[in-house]
Amino acid sequence: MAIKPARFYVDDRPDEGVFRVHRDVYSDPEVFELEMKYIFERTWNFLTIESQIPKAHDYITTWIGRTPVVVSRDAKGNICAFLNTCRHKGATVCRFEKGNSKYHVCFYHGWAYDSGGKNVSIKQREAADYPAAFDAQSHDLIPLAKLATYKGLIFGSLSPDVPPLDEHLGDLKFFIDLHMDQGPQGMEIIPGRVAYTYRGNWKMQLENGQDPYHVDTAHGSFMAIAERRRKGQGNVAARELDWQKRNDVQIGSYEFPHGHSSVWHDVVEPERRAVHATFDEVKSRVGEQRAAWMIKQRNAVFFPNLQIADQIVPILRTFRPIEPGLTELRSNVLGPIGEPPHLRAARLRQFEDFVNPGGYATPDDVTVFADCQVGFQSAGVDFLQGYSRGIGAIERGPNEEARAVELHPLTSVKGHRTQNNELGTHAPFREWVRLMNAGMEGRKAYP
Amino acid sequence: MSAVDEAALLAPGIELLSREAVYLDEKRWDEWLALYAVDCEFWVPTWTAEGHLTTNPQTELSLIYYTARGALEDRIVRIRSGRSPAALPLPRTAHVVSNILPLEPPLRDRIRLRSTWACHTFFPLMDVHHTYFGRAEYDLARRDETWVIQRKKTILENDRIPLPIDIYCL
Repeated sequence: MAIKPARFYVDDRPDEGVFRVHRDVYSDPEVFELEMKYIFERTWNFLTIESQIPKAHDYITTWIGRTPVVVSRDAKGNICAFLNTCRHKGATVCRFEKGNSKYHVCFYHGWAYDSGGKNVSIKQREAADYPAAFDAQSHDLIPLAKLATYKGLIFGSLSPDVPPLDEHLGDLKFFIDLHMDQGPQGMEIIPGRVAYTYRGNWKMQLENGQDPYHVDTAHGSFMAIAERRRKGQGNVAARELDWQKRNDVQIGSYEFPHGHSSVWHDVVEPERRAVHATFDEVKSRVGEQRAAWMIKQRNAVFFPNLQIADQIVPILRTFRPIEPGLTELRSNVLGPIGEPPHLRAARLRQFEDFVNPGGYATPDDVTVFADCQVGFQSAGVDFLQGYSRGIGAIERGPNEEARAVELHPLTSVKGHRTQNNELGTHAPFREWVRLMNAGMEGRKAYP
Repeated sequence: MSAVDEAALLAPGIELLSREAVYLDEKRWDEWLALYAVDCEFWVPTWTAEGHLTTNPQTELSLIYYTARGALEDRIVRIRSGRSPAALPLPRTAHVVSNILPLEPPLRDRIRLRSTWACHTFFPLMDVHHTYFGRAEYDLARRDETWVIQRKKTILENDRIPLPIDIYCL
């Protein structure tokens, strides 16, 4: 299939109320190839959070698109990140997901690197008869071109041509704050690893988090369970929100620059939110308005690889594209550092019940993603119609709620729950087009 | 205790493990639920990023952690609702349970067993087969003349999960 100019794939005509996305963006291998090259490899990606690597020589391994990456503390405790690939023959030098090691030694020929990525040993170098040209080269692991942190979240870029992180995040910092300020001493990732793959494109999970419209159908079986729990039966320890009670809530979304967006829902049972247990302390620290925003259900997209989601408890969920129709997801559950044991246990039960592979929502989502991926193979059909709900209610710039907390979204929308706007997908797709166009036309990603 | 006496005490426990597997494979949900004590613990721990199994469900994340049979009943309500895409059509399973050994000498009203299990799971929706496998630990208790599962810890060894999991494929 011949690749077309990027703007072909997203039919975006705001003046005419048209926003459609071509099915090929989810299934065409050529599109996928260019996404890796022009999106993942040319912008900021979320890597991990600082509290995962608290001490010198601590490390985690992760990915930027297809590129394996090590994020580490060097001997002095500085955060550094480098490509997880030996300079000699290319093998990964770090096999484990997390650990502490002064040195990363390649298992193939024993080249060794320190925790800052610097080459400290080339086996049998003295006898090698290496030419001067070899000695003139650096043998260190390749550092990421850019590395920066905000509120403990570590971001990296394979390309040096990116805006400063602070500018790139913009108003997304507000949504990161709402996560990371929930604990008086900050937040930590709760031990236990949730990793799963689904048979669908990486953008489907990104969109799913911005999509309140699917909830009462894809997760319709949960209604019967909620009915039981209302009567005190079943897994009441999970303290899931009673969906019937939220029939009249307001839902909204914002579109931000650089592909970021967020949806929010009002909550009628604030006492069920994890942050509620320490609400007075939180309020005194962050103020009434931000505390009220912590109670709202939120799901913000950091384009392209992170969801900053707080459906019931705050999580950081990363997507790693593997193939056009195969994606790995990892969920990191956050809890306040020093959280009392009974609250920590309650937080775990709340998370496990729903957006967990052993819970009630995730298995349904991954099977409908697989359904979509099958449907995308159809001949004789081009653009999808899943991006239009709420277009008639768009406000340019910030709305009242955004102004109250000094957010500056490009567009705002809100409405009754059943409006179920699909506008949280627009910012990511507009940035998708911009970055793909820049790459395909031979321009830099950021002018 | 003689080996013969021990085998006699263990026999109903070993049979219960087989019955659990059969009930799940044959979708005999009510009989499966009846194997569990009302106040049972049902735990599927996660592995940590360091590659260790989590040891405390109160401080670490689990794939599933329930402390009441009512929570298992939720799972059956979901399957029977006909509204869960993950269970339509319902995956077909074959549990194979083996290497059953006592974790400690059996008592008249309490048996602790370990097993190794594999669950071959066919997903008709995606026309694909996957084998989940691992180990399990059971605490069985005798209530009147019936043995019930008081506690079950299921260890999923292949925890990078490529397809939906549910109580019937563990």
